[in-house]
Amino acid sequence: MRKKVMALVLTSAMAVSLAACGGGGQTTETAAAPAGDATTAAPAADGGQQEAAAPSGDGLVYWSMWEATEPQGQAIQAAVDQFTADTGISVDLQFKGRTGIREGLQPALDAGTNIDLFDEDIDRVNTTWGQYLMDLEELAKAADYEATANAGLMAACREVGGGTLKSIPYQPNVFAFFYNQTIFDEAGITAVPTTWAELDAACAKIKEKGYTPITCDDAYITCMFGYHMSRLVGEPKTEEIVKGGQWDDPSVIATAEAYADFASKGYFSETIASNVWPAGQNQELAMGTAAMYLNGSWLPNEVKDMAGDDFVWGCFSYPALEGGTDGVDAANYGAQVLAINKDSQKAEDAFKLICYITQGEFDKMLSELSIGIPADSNNTEWPALISCVKPVMDSMNTRYPWAAGAEANADMTPIIKENFLKLCGGSIDAQGFVDALKKAGN
Amino acid sequence: MKRNKGMIILFLTPTVLMFSVIFLYPIIRTIIMSFFRIDGITDPVAKWQFTGLSNFIRLANTSLFRISMWNLFRIWLIGGIIVMSLALLFAVIITSGIRFKSFFRAVIYLPNIVSAVALATMWLQYVYSPKFGLLKTVFTNLGLTSLAKVQWLDNDHKFAALLLAYCFGMVGYHMLIFASGIERISSDYFEAATLDGANKFNQFRYITLPLLKGVFKTNITMWSVTSVGFFVWSQLFSTVTADTQTITPMVYMYMQIFGAGNSITERNSGLGAAIGVLLSVCVVAVFWLCNHLLRDDDLEF
Repeated sequence: MRKKVMALVLTSAMAVSLAACGGGGQTTETAAAPAGDATTAAPAADGGQQEAAAPSGDGLVYWSMWEATEPQGQAIQAAVDQFTADTGISVDLQFKGRTGIREGLQPALDAGTNIDLFDEDIDRVNTTWGQYLMDLEELAKAADYEATANAGLMAACREVGGGTLKSIPYQPNVFAFFYNQTIFDEAGITAVPTTWAELDAACAKIKEKGYTPITCDDAYITCMFGYHMSRLVGEPKTEEIVKGGQWDDPSVIATAEAYADFASKGYFSETIASNVWPAGQNQELAMGTAAMYLNGSWLPNEVKDMAGDDFVWGCFSYPALEGGTDGVDAANYGAQVLAINKDSQKAEDAFKLICYITQGEFDKMLSELSIGIPADSNNTEWPALISCVKPVMDSMNTRYPWAAGAEANADMTPIIKENFLKLCGGSIDAQGFVDALKKAGN
Repeated sequence: MKRNKGMIILFLTPTVLMFSVIFLYPIIRTIIMSFFRIDGITDPVAKWQFTGLSNFIRLANTSLFRISMWNLFRIWLIGGIIVMSLALLFAVIITSGIRFKSFFRAVIYLPNIVSAVALATMWLQYVYSPKFGLLKTVFTNLGLTSLAKVQWLDNDHKFAALLLAYCFGMVGYHMLIFASGIERISSDYFEAATLDGANKFNQFRYITLPLLKGVFKTNITMWSVTSVGFFVWSQLFSTVTADTQTITPMVYMYMQIFGAGNSITERNSGLGAAIGVLLSVCVVAVFWLCNHLLRDDDLEF
């Protein structure tokens, strides 16, 4: 009997510890991550004493969301090397990767790990990690940083930072329709669609020429729902509907009807309901069989090897809707941002490094290597592949969060995703879409 | 035997200490966390807000969590039947004295040493592709046009697609456990049965199966524990945002602790801990059931 009880206890121990891989286990895992990086953990442990004695000349610790092998990682590494060569300040640059920093940064900061600066998405840094950020207003002012910064992005940083500057943007991006200019030319479309009716007309012409007008992947399908809703009623209302389960709101059925109409006209890819990312962007858009894809400005870079050198990119903002609240000047635009730990003893050095990365030569390098948008307004030359994005980026006035609020309720995102895929695939109608959301309840 | 208490304490202390720190403390902490609302997983205890059973009640009332539990149950039951049946079949074949035993064993085990990311990419972008996929090609060549047109990754088929891909990689592991169990059975029993006129099927039914009870228990417990931890394949089959057909409680837990997809969503590590507690209860229940249904303490061989 005792043996059985022991076995039961041990099994439950194993189960809990395994189950905790995502929860409690993450504590172990994430706590282990910084600990594993002996270079950071060791100076962090006794760093307090060393730092007190040492002048602001000794090392900075920088956690980055990139991998060392990515173009962004390479440009940042080059900027850091130059910074060290010029100033004599060593930098312990650690490429954590997207998951690594998402899971590991907060536990590391809570554990008092010595991290002077870090980077990630503008919303995550300012919202999720807002409590760890140093106010950068004074440092930016002293360095006259805004003389060459993108005013719109700086304003976005202040907006998400609660009215003050807590992060510095780099590698800006914007979310819009990306299209194959060659197909547009062949279909005789001379101007980009700015209204839903114009998009409808453009799709009809493209379909007539034998191409798929619009494709998408499961990972981005909720964005189409969010953008349409936000064009109709504005992003705050969309978020309210999604969070509050107000699926009876007329905008929901109106959005569903618009997409059901497009689906019935055959404007979507035949495989849209089964496109698991990156099938749609790689096998359809890049291969030249589909014309449009609602995605971020990182898309041309992601598919460049498949699309080939002769692929001519075009870009336009999600069309405005008749009687809608928002126009084409609203979209999710933002950037990755750099922020300084509020407990950092070397904020000035850290800000100097931020200037190296986000201005001049290395901002240009980052833009060229990653085929991204430059952050420094003096770097006026954009990589050719994304030069089409410039007019869209310059026209932005209203900033949406990711997916224009469609993913604001984590409990509903998979349900919206499932049913919007079915709607675009034509297996349910508009009312079926609304009913499915209502049935899910929350 | 004379017991030396000092020695017992000396040898047991490190183990008990390690067990307490590495297992007991996280278990107790996780259980306590499940009764609180906690934003960040490493938030100090002072920031925790006691909410009683509300995390558990919220889970029960959230349709997405119920969907994730249903998916887990389907993975455990349907996947378990498929994997255990194939693993047992292959184990019997492998141990039946066939030629090239090691080669076949290695081939069946091979998917276990290939990265899940590579395997999932193969399944998603090649095998199931509705444009040039393996299944499409095979069915087209067989003249089965209706099957060739099936979109294996749409909502109606995605769960089956995921399960097939997952089971493909799991058979080898459980086959090895079965095979080692079969090899442990003395060949004397089979020789005696052959002399008594028992055919191969009856030998399997009346000798191999009963003597494998303990191994079944091990396999089912291992399968339950790995099923409960089902995460990577779910993530690979639905990148960025979760999917109703592939979401499991572990993915739901991750969403609650670290946020969902690219959006900034509400986080609650207390809810994540509650999921951990529920899952461990499930595994203990399965283990308890196995112990009662598959009694093997009456067997000695």
